[in-house]
Amino acid sequence: MTDIKNLIPQRSPIMMVDELLEAHDDVARCSLTIREDNFFLESDGTIAEPGVIEHIAQSASAFAGYDAMQSGATEPPVGFIGEVKRFRLFRRPLKGETLVTTITMGPTVGGVTIISGETVSDNETIATTQMKIYVAGE
Amino acid sequence: MLLENKYYKVLRAREEGEGKAVYHIAILPDCNVYNGHFPGNPVCPGVCNIQTIKECASLLIGKELRISSIKQCLFTAIASPTVCPEVDVEVEVKEAGGSYTIVASISDEKRQYMTFKGEGV
Repeated sequence: MTDIKNLIPQRSPIMMVDELLEAHDDVARCSLTIREDNFFLESDGTIAEPGVIEHIAQSASAFAGYDAMQSGATEPPVGFIGEVKRFRLFRRPLKGETLVTTITMGPTVGGVTIISGETVSDNETIATTQMKIYVAGE
Repeated sequence: MLLENKYYKVLRAREEGEGKAVYHIAILPDCNVYNGHFPGNPVCPGVCNIQTIKECASLLIGKELRISSIKQCLFTAIASPTVCPEVDVEVEVKEAGGSYTIVASISDEKRQYMTFKGEGV
């Protein structure tokens, strides 16, 4: 849809979203292909579990960045994870795999947004979680 | 391990009884993660601190753990190599039926930065 660098503030080596695939109402989908230079890649060719959490958080960040851009922002908002809750990882993703994460935005109260995320690879669920994300300066 | 001596360095460890220890670590300011998180504004990625907790738990039990679930992980203050160049990682690991429960926190004398309750295998 848009250059991902316009939607998230993270840069190399910790960019964990390639593309915002779609966004409408309170649901968005983002993708990431695990490459050789992934910051979280382990020697066994899988990525460490926190890398999946970061991918989900940055998917939510891209969604927030898209919404901000629709409202006329020129810089992507800087969001921080406040809480990770009920995270489950079914297996570690492998190098070469493409992850697709669906983010559902919940309510925002006092600058804190509750989101839920589900990450799949070829229709196989890799991870599910809830998170609270807050945006700096709000 | 992925982030040991790259993102953090263990300066000393103190065992506090069965399955419990405090790792005093330096958060390494020259880690390349700060090139991107965020340009000109180095902030510890919360997920790197989760990985650090997992690696300290692995050091404690002498086996490389993988996180299978997180019940709750709270980030209570923003950490950075300048805000908190050295922190204590307090970890407690209990084995139960082939998996491990991990309860941990990261803090210094000023404040707590995060708490973690999860499971590893």
